[in-house]
Amino acid sequence: MKHTNTTFGYDALAHFGRVNASISHELKNVMAIISETAGLLGDLSDMASSGTPVAPDMLSDCTKSIVEEIQRGFAVIRQMNRFSHSIDHPVESVNLMDVLDLSINLSTYLSFAGTTTIAESDGQPPVVATCPFLLQAIIYQTLVYTFKHTGNNADVTVGVNASDEEKGWKIVFSGFSLNGFQVFPDPLLQTMAESIGVTIKCDSTADWLELIVPSAIDESALLDGGNIG
Amino acid sequence: MEAENTIKILMVDDEEKFLQAVSERLSIKGFDVKTATNGDDAIAAAKKGGYDVAIVDLQMPGTDGTQVLKVLKENHRYIEIIMLTGHATVDAAVECTRLGAFKFLEKPYDFDRLVEALKDAYQARIEKKFESNRKRMEMIQQLSIHQSPLGLLREMAQLDDARK
Repeated sequence: MKHTNTTFGYDALAHFGRVNASISHELKNVMAIISETAGLLGDLSDMASSGTPVAPDMLSDCTKSIVEEIQRGFAVIRQMNRFSHSIDHPVESVNLMDVLDLSINLSTYLSFAGTTTIAESDGQPPVVATCPFLLQAIIYQTLVYTFKHTGNNADVTVGVNASDEEKGWKIVFSGFSLNGFQVFPDPLLQTMAESIGVTIKCDSTADWLELIVPSAIDESALLDGGNIG
Repeated sequence: MEAENTIKILMVDDEEKFLQAVSERLSIKGFDVKTATNGDDAIAAAKKGGYDVAIVDLQMPGTDGTQVLKVLKENHRYIEIIMLTGHATVDAAVECTRLGAFKFLEKPYDFDRLVEALKDAYQARIEKKFESNRKRMEMIQQLSIHQSPLGLLREMAQLDDARK
Protein backbone atom coordinates (compact mmCIF):
# COMPACT_ATOMS: atom_id res chain seq x y z
CA MET A 1 0.00 0.00 0.00
CA LYS A 2 1.23 3.50 -0.82
CA HIS A 3 1.94 6.04 1.91
CA THR A 4 -1.05 8.31 2.23
CA ASN A 5 0.62 11.58 3.12
CA THR A 6 3.17 11.66 0.33
CA THR A 7 0.84 10.20 -2.29
CA PHE A 8 -2.29 12.19 -1.57
CA GLY A 9 -1.07 15.35 0.16
CA TYR A 10 -2.34 17.77 -2.48
CA ASP A 11 -5.10 15.55 -3.90
CA ALA A 12 -6.63 14.95 -0.47
CA LEU A 13 -6.56 18.70 0.13
CA ALA A 14 -8.15 19.25 -3.28
CA HIS A 15 -10.98 16.85 -2.40
CA PHE A 16 -11.40 18.60 0.94
CA GLY A 17 -11.57 21.95 -0.87
CA ARG A 18 -14.06 20.79 -3.52
CA VAL A 19 -16.44 19.30 -0.98
CA ASN A 20 -16.24 22.37 1.25
CA ALA A 21 -16.92 24.57 -1.77
CA SER A 22 -20.12 22.64 -2.49
CA ILE A 23 -21.12 22.88 1.18
CA SER A 24 -20.56 26.63 1.22
CA HIS A 25 -22.60 27.00 -1.96
CA GLU A 26 -25.45 25.10 -0.33
CA LEU A 27 -25.25 27.27 2.79
CA LYS A 28 -25.27 30.40 0.62
CA ASN A 29 -28.53 29.23 -0.95
CA VAL A 30 -30.00 28.70 2.51
CA MET A 31 -28.91 32.18 3.62
CA ALA A 32 -30.24 33.74 0.42
CA ILE A 33 -33.69 32.22 1.03
CA ILE A 34 -33.71 33.37 4.66
CA SER A 35 -32.53 36.84 3.62
CA GLU A 36 -35.18 37.28 0.91
CA THR A 37 -37.98 35.83 3.02
CA ALA A 38 -37.04 38.11 5.94
CA GLY A 39 -37.03 40.99 3.47
CA LEU A 40 -40.47 39.98 2.26
CA LEU A 41 -41.72 39.93 5.86
CA GLY A 42 -40.37 43.45 6.20
CA ASP A 43 -42.15 44.56 3.02
CA LEU A 44 -45.43 43.01 4.21
CA SER A 45 -44.99 44.72 7.56
CA ASP A 46 -44.52 48.08 5.79
CA MET A 47 -47.64 47.41 3.76
CA ALA A 48 -49.64 46.63 6.89
CA SER A 49 -48.33 49.78 8.59
CA SER A 50 -49.49 51.87 5.66
CA GLY A 51 -52.97 50.37 5.87
CA THR A 52 -52.75 47.84 3.02
CA PRO A 53 -54.38 44.57 4.10
CA VAL A 54 -52.01 41.63 4.28
CA ALA A 55 -53.29 38.04 4.21
CA PRO A 56 -52.26 36.27 7.44
CA ASP A 57 -51.25 33.11 5.58
CA MET A 58 -48.61 35.12 3.69
CA LEU A 59 -46.99 35.90 7.04
CA SER A 60 -47.22 32.32 8.29
CA ASP A 61 -45.83 30.98 4.97
CA CYS A 62 -42.83 33.31 5.34
CA THR A 63 -42.09 32.30 8.92
CA LYS A 64 -42.53 28.63 8.08
CA SER A 65 -40.10 28.99 5.18
CA ILE A 66 -37.51 30.67 7.41
CA VAL A 67 -37.81 27.93 10.05
CA GLU A 68 -37.46 25.21 7.41
CA GLU A 69 -34.38 26.84 5.91
CA ILE A 70 -32.76 27.24 9.31
CA GLN A 71 -33.27 23.50 9.88
CA ARG A 72 -31.85 22.82 6.42
CA GLY A 73 -28.84 24.99 7.32
CA PHE A 74 -28.27 23.02 10.54
CA ALA A 75 -28.46 19.75 8.56
CA VAL A 76 -25.80 21.01 6.13
CA ILE A 77 -23.56 22.10 9.00
CA ARG A 78 -23.95 18.65 10.60
CA GLN A 79 -22.66 17.04 7.38
CA MET A 80 -19.82 19.56 7.21
CA ASN A 81 -18.88 18.64 10.77
CA ARG A 82 -18.99 14.89 10.00
CA PHE A 83 -16.85 15.48 6.92
CA SER A 84 -14.33 17.57 8.83
CA HIS A 85 -13.98 14.90 11.51
CA SER A 86 -13.55 12.08 8.96
CA ILE A 87 -9.87 13.03 8.88
CA ASP A 88 -9.37 12.78 12.69
CA HIS A 89 -7.87 9.28 12.62
CA PRO A 90 -5.92 7.74 9.74
CA VAL A 91 -7.43 4.32 10.49
CA GLU A 92 -10.45 3.53 12.63
CA SER A 93 -13.38 1.13 12.83
CA VAL A 94 -16.34 2.50 10.97
CA ASN A 95 -19.74 1.24 9.93
CA LEU A 96 -19.85 1.30 6.12
CA MET A 97 -23.48 2.47 6.27
CA ASP A 98 -22.35 5.63 8.12
CA VAL A 99 -19.60 6.32 5.56
CA LEU A 100 -22.10 5.78 2.72
CA ASP A 101 -24.61 8.07 4.41
CA LEU A 102 -22.02 10.87 4.69
CA SER A 103 -20.75 10.47 1.11
CA ILE A 104 -24.27 10.45 -0.31
CA ASN A 105 -25.34 13.48 1.75
CA LEU A 106 -22.29 15.41 0.56
CA SER A 107 -22.99 14.48 -3.06
CA THR A 108 -26.50 15.97 -2.87
CA TYR A 109 -24.98 19.47 -2.74
CA LEU A 110 -23.75 19.14 -6.32
CA SER A 111 -25.94 20.89 -8.90
CA PHE A 112 -25.74 17.87 -11.23
CA ALA A 113 -26.56 15.29 -8.52
CA GLY A 114 -29.25 12.70 -9.08
CA THR A 115 -31.02 10.78 -6.33
CA THR A 116 -29.22 8.11 -4.31
CA THR A 117 -30.92 5.60 -2.03
CA ILE A 118 -29.16 3.32 0.45
CA ALA A 119 -30.55 -0.21 0.36
CA GLU A 120 -31.27 -1.72 3.79
CA SER A 121 -28.51 -3.92 5.08
CA ASP A 122 -29.42 -7.32 6.61
CA GLY A 123 -27.34 -9.30 9.02
CA GLN A 124 -24.39 -8.06 11.00
CA PRO A 125 -23.34 -4.40 10.77
CA PRO A 126 -20.71 -3.92 8.03
CA VAL A 127 -17.85 -2.66 10.21
CA VAL A 128 -14.36 -2.26 8.75
CA ALA A 129 -11.08 -0.80 9.97
CA THR A 130 -10.07 1.65 7.28
CA CYS A 131 -9.18 5.26 6.52
CA PRO A 132 -12.61 6.92 6.74
CA PHE A 133 -11.53 10.03 4.82
CA LEU A 134 -10.15 8.13 1.84
CA LEU A 135 -13.07 5.67 1.75
CA GLN A 136 -15.68 8.44 1.71
CA ALA A 137 -13.62 10.25 -0.94
CA ILE A 138 -13.67 7.11 -3.12
CA ILE A 139 -17.43 6.66 -2.70
CA TYR A 140 -18.03 10.38 -3.30
CA GLN A 141 -15.91 10.40 -6.49
CA THR A 142 -17.75 7.29 -7.72
CA LEU A 143 -21.06 9.10 -7.26
CA VAL A 144 -19.71 12.27 -8.93
CA TYR A 145 -18.59 10.22 -11.94
CA THR A 146 -21.95 8.45 -12.08
CA PHE A 147 -23.95 11.69 -11.98
CA LYS A 148 -21.75 13.35 -14.58
CA HIS A 149 -22.51 10.53 -16.99
CA THR A 150 -26.11 9.75 -16.14
CA GLY A 151 -27.36 13.28 -15.46
CA ASN A 152 -29.44 14.67 -12.63
CA ASN A 153 -32.35 12.35 -13.40
CA ALA A 154 -30.22 9.42 -12.22
CA ASP A 155 -31.75 7.23 -9.51
CA VAL A 156 -28.88 5.32 -7.96
CA THR A 157 -29.18 2.60 -5.34
CA VAL A 158 -26.24 1.73 -3.14
CA GLY A 159 -26.15 -1.38 -1.01
CA VAL A 160 -23.65 -3.22 1.19
CA ASN A 161 -23.25 -7.00 1.02
CA ALA A 162 -20.72 -9.40 2.46
CA SER A 163 -17.97 -10.02 -0.08
CA ASP A 164 -18.00 -13.55 -1.57
CA GLU A 165 -14.39 -13.69 -2.72
CA GLU A 166 -12.48 -11.76 -0.11
CA LYS A 167 -12.80 -11.05 3.58
CA GLY A 168 -14.69 -7.80 3.71
CA TRP A 169 -17.68 -6.09 2.18
CA LYS A 170 -18.99 -5.09 -1.22
CA ILE A 171 -20.51 -1.68 -1.86
CA VAL A 172 -22.77 -2.19 -4.87
CA PHE A 173 -23.98 0.67 -7.09
CA SER A 174 -27.00 -0.05 -9.29
CA GLY A 175 -29.94 1.55 -11.11
CA PHE A 176 -28.05 3.18 -13.96
CA SER A 177 -26.26 2.29 -17.17
CA LEU A 178 -22.49 2.18 -17.27
CA ASN A 179 -22.64 2.79 -20.99
CA GLY A 180 -20.51 5.88 -21.44
CA PHE A 181 -18.22 5.15 -18.47
CA GLN A 182 -15.11 5.49 -20.54
CA VAL A 183 -12.26 5.89 -18.11
CA PHE A 184 -13.36 4.58 -14.75
CA PRO A 185 -11.72 4.51 -12.35
CA ASP A 186 -9.27 7.25 -13.35
CA PRO A 187 -5.62 6.75 -12.26
CA LEU A 188 -5.94 8.94 -9.13
CA LEU A 189 -9.06 7.16 -7.93
CA GLN A 190 -7.43 3.81 -8.65
CA THR A 191 -4.33 4.74 -6.63
CA MET A 192 -6.49 6.07 -3.80
CA ALA A 193 -8.46 2.83 -3.71
CA GLU A 194 -5.30 0.68 -3.76
CA SER A 195 -3.86 2.64 -0.84
CA ILE A 196 -6.59 1.31 1.47
CA GLY A 197 -6.98 -2.06 -0.22
CA VAL A 198 -10.25 -1.21 -1.98
CA THR A 199 -10.90 -2.95 -5.30
CA ILE A 200 -13.05 -1.17 -7.86
CA LYS A 201 -14.81 -3.55 -10.21
CA CYS A 202 -17.17 -2.56 -12.98
CA ASP A 203 -18.67 -4.14 -16.06
CA SER A 204 -20.18 -1.75 -18.59
CA THR A 205 -21.93 -4.53 -20.52
CA ALA A 206 -23.58 -6.05 -17.47
CA ASP A 207 -24.09 -2.64 -15.81
CA TRP A 208 -22.61 -3.31 -12.40
CA LEU A 209 -20.16 -1.39 -10.29
CA GLU A 210 -18.72 -2.54 -6.95
CA LEU A 211 -16.23 -1.35 -4.40
CA ILE A 212 -14.76 -4.26 -2.43
CA VAL A 213 -13.61 -3.02 0.98
CA PRO A 214 -11.31 -5.19 3.12
CA SER A 215 -12.37 -5.75 6.73
CA ALA A 216 -9.10 -4.27 8.04
CA ILE A 217 -6.02 -2.47 6.78
CA ASP A 218 -2.54 -2.03 8.19
CA GLU A 219 -2.27 1.45 9.75
CA SER A 220 1.53 1.55 9.68
CA ALA A 221 1.58 0.84 5.94
CA LEU A 222 -0.71 3.80 5.40
CA LEU A 223 1.44 6.42 7.11
CA ASP A 224 4.94 7.77 6.54
CA GLY A 225 7.06 5.92 9.05
CA GLY A 226 4.12 5.74 11.43
CA ASN A 227 3.93 9.54 11.84
CA ILE A 228 1.02 11.66 10.70
CA GLY A 229 1.89 14.85 8.77
CA MET B 1 -55.07 46.64 -15.90
CA GLU B 2 -51.26 46.77 -16.13
CA ALA B 3 -49.59 50.11 -16.71
CA GLU B 4 -47.83 50.29 -20.07
CA ASN B 5 -44.52 50.94 -18.45
CA THR B 6 -44.68 48.02 -15.96
CA ILE B 7 -41.39 46.20 -16.27
CA LYS B 8 -41.97 42.56 -17.21
CA ILE B 9 -39.55 40.15 -15.61
CA LEU B 10 -38.87 36.47 -16.22
CA MET B 11 -37.04 34.91 -13.27
CA VAL B 12 -35.54 31.43 -13.29
CA ASP B 13 -33.98 29.65 -10.30
CA ASP B 14 -34.10 26.01 -9.17
CA GLU B 15 -34.48 27.11 -5.51
CA GLU B 16 -38.27 27.50 -5.39
CA LYS B 17 -38.45 29.23 -2.04
CA PHE B 18 -35.89 31.80 -3.14
CA LEU B 19 -37.76 32.30 -6.40
CA GLN B 20 -41.06 32.76 -4.57
CA ALA B 21 -39.69 35.25 -2.02
CA VAL B 22 -37.90 37.40 -4.60
CA SER B 23 -40.80 37.40 -7.06
CA GLU B 24 -43.22 38.43 -4.28
CA ARG B 25 -40.92 41.29 -3.25
CA LEU B 26 -40.53 42.43 -6.85
CA SER B 27 -44.31 42.31 -7.36
CA ILE B 28 -44.78 44.52 -4.30
CA LYS B 29 -42.33 46.95 -5.93
CA GLY B 30 -44.54 47.04 -9.04
CA PHE B 31 -42.75 44.63 -11.37
CA ASP B 32 -44.72 42.05 -13.35
CA VAL B 33 -42.91 38.81 -12.57
CA LYS B 34 -43.25 35.35 -14.09
CA THR B 35 -41.13 32.49 -12.79
CA ALA B 36 -39.59 29.23 -13.95
CA THR B 37 -37.77 26.61 -11.91
CA ASN B 38 -35.53 25.27 -14.67
CA GLY B 39 -33.77 26.43 -17.80
CA ASP B 40 -36.00 24.61 -20.30
CA ASP B 41 -39.19 26.14 -18.85
CA ALA B 42 -37.57 29.58 -18.89
CA ILE B 43 -36.63 29.26 -22.57
CA ALA B 44 -40.19 28.10 -23.39
CA ALA B 45 -41.72 30.97 -21.39
CA ALA B 46 -39.50 33.53 -23.10
CA LYS B 47 -40.71 32.27 -26.51
CA LYS B 48 -44.19 33.51 -25.59
CA GLY B 49 -42.47 36.86 -25.52
CA GLY B 50 -43.09 40.16 -23.84
CA TYR B 51 -40.30 40.13 -21.25
CA ASP B 52 -38.13 43.17 -20.71
CA VAL B 53 -35.57 41.65 -18.36
CA ALA B 54 -34.71 38.11 -17.27
CA ILE B 55 -33.10 37.18 -13.94
CA VAL B 56 -31.24 33.90 -14.38
CA ASP B 57 -29.54 31.70 -11.79
CA LEU B 58 -26.18 30.55 -13.11
CA GLN B 59 -25.99 27.09 -11.55
CA MET B 60 -29.03 24.94 -12.22
CA PRO B 61 -29.35 21.23 -12.92
CA GLY B 62 -30.00 20.34 -16.55
CA THR B 63 -30.02 23.42 -18.82
CA ASP B 64 -27.90 25.80 -16.78
CA GLY B 65 -27.88 29.60 -16.60
CA THR B 66 -25.17 30.03 -19.23
CA GLN B 67 -27.21 28.05 -21.76
CA VAL B 68 -30.37 30.02 -20.91
CA LEU B 69 -28.43 33.29 -21.35
CA LYS B 70 -27.13 32.17 -24.72
CA VAL B 71 -30.53 31.07 -26.06
CA LEU B 72 -32.37 34.16 -24.79
CA LYS B 73 -29.81 36.53 -26.27
CA GLU B 74 -29.87 34.68 -29.60
CA ASN B 75 -33.66 34.66 -29.90
CA HIS B 76 -34.80 37.86 -28.20
CA ARG B 77 -32.99 40.89 -29.49
CA TYR B 78 -33.80 43.41 -26.84
CA ILE B 79 -34.11 41.34 -23.66
CA GLU B 80 -31.58 42.23 -20.95
CA ILE B 81 -30.37 39.54 -18.58
CA ILE B 82 -29.15 39.73 -15.00
CA MET B 83 -27.22 36.67 -13.82
CA LEU B 84 -27.34 35.49 -10.22
CA THR B 85 -24.84 33.13 -8.67
CA GLY B 86 -23.93 31.74 -5.27
CA HIS B 87 -20.28 31.57 -6.29
CA ALA B 88 -18.98 34.37 -8.48
CA THR B 89 -15.70 33.74 -10.26
CA VAL B 90 -13.89 36.04 -12.68
CA ASP B 91 -14.14 33.36 -15.40
CA ALA B 92 -17.91 33.03 -14.95
CA ALA B 93 -18.39 36.81 -14.98
CA VAL B 94 -16.25 37.20 -18.11
CA GLU B 95 -18.07 34.38 -19.90
CA CYS B 96 -21.51 35.75 -19.03
CA THR B 97 -20.51 39.26 -20.12
CA ARG B 98 -19.18 37.85 -23.37
CA LEU B 99 -22.53 36.14 -23.93
CA GLY B 100 -24.33 39.43 -23.37
CA ALA B 101 -25.38 39.49 -19.70
CA PHE B 102 -26.25 42.97 -18.48
CA LYS B 103 -25.12 42.40 -14.89
CA PHE B 104 -23.74 39.70 -12.64
CA LEU B 105 -24.83 39.57 -8.98
CA GLU B 106 -23.56 37.26 -6.25
CA LYS B 107 -26.00 35.79 -3.72
CA PRO B 108 -26.86 36.88 -1.15
CA TYR B 109 -27.11 40.39 -2.55
CA ASP B 110 -28.78 43.55 -1.37
CA PHE B 111 -32.37 43.54 -2.70
CA ASP B 112 -32.25 47.27 -3.51
CA ARG B 113 -29.24 46.56 -5.74
CA LEU B 114 -31.33 44.06 -7.68
CA VAL B 115 -34.15 46.60 -8.08
CA GLU B 116 -31.69 49.23 -9.33
CA ALA B 117 -30.13 46.71 -11.71
CA LEU B 118 -33.58 45.84 -13.10
CA LYS B 119 -34.41 49.50 -13.72
CA ASP B 120 -31.01 50.07 -15.35
CA ALA B 121 -31.48 46.96 -17.51
CA TYR B 122 -34.94 48.17 -18.59
CA GLN B 123 -33.51 51.58 -19.44
CA ALA B 124 -30.78 49.94 -21.51
CA ARG B 125 -33.41 47.90 -23.34
CA ILE B 126 -35.50 51.01 -24.14
CA GLU B 127 -32.45 52.87 -25.43
CA LYS B 128 -31.39 49.93 -27.57
CA LYS B 129 -34.87 49.62 -29.09
CA PHE B 130 -35.07 53.38 -29.65
CA GLU B 131 -31.68 53.40 -31.34
CA SER B 132 -32.69 50.46 -33.50
CA ASN B 133 -35.96 52.16 -34.47
CA ARG B 134 -34.16 55.43 -35.19
CA LYS B 135 -31.76 53.63 -37.54
CA ARG B 136 -34.69 51.87 -39.16
CA MET B 137 -36.43 55.20 -39.74
CA GLU B 138 -33.26 56.62 -41.27
CA MET B 139 -32.94 53.66 -43.59
CA ILE B 140 -36.59 53.97 -44.61
CA GLN B 141 -36.10 57.65 -45.35
CA GLN B 142 -33.03 56.86 -47.44
CA LEU B 143 -34.82 54.12 -49.29
CA SER B 144 -37.94 56.21 -49.93
CA ILE B 145 -35.85 58.79 -51.81
CA HIS B 146 -34.59 56.25 -54.33
CA GLN B 147 -37.29 53.58 -54.47
CA SER B 148 -40.72 53.28 -55.96
CA PRO B 149 -43.47 52.57 -53.39
CA LEU B 150 -43.36 48.84 -54.31
CA GLY B 151 -39.58 48.79 -54.15
CA LEU B 152 -39.73 50.51 -50.77
CA LEU B 153 -42.15 47.86 -49.44
CA ARG B 154 -39.85 45.12 -50.71
CA GLU B 155 -36.82 46.68 -49.02
CA MET B 156 -38.72 47.14 -45.75
CA ALA B 157 -39.80 43.48 -45.81
CA GLN B 158 -36.18 42.42 -46.26
CA LEU B 159 -35.20 44.73 -43.42
CA ASP B 160 -37.82 43.12 -41.14
CA ASP B 161 -36.56 39.65 -42.05
CA ALA B 162 -33.02 40.71 -41.19
CA ARG B 163 -34.19 42.07 -37.79
CA LYS B 164 -35.76 38.73 -36.72
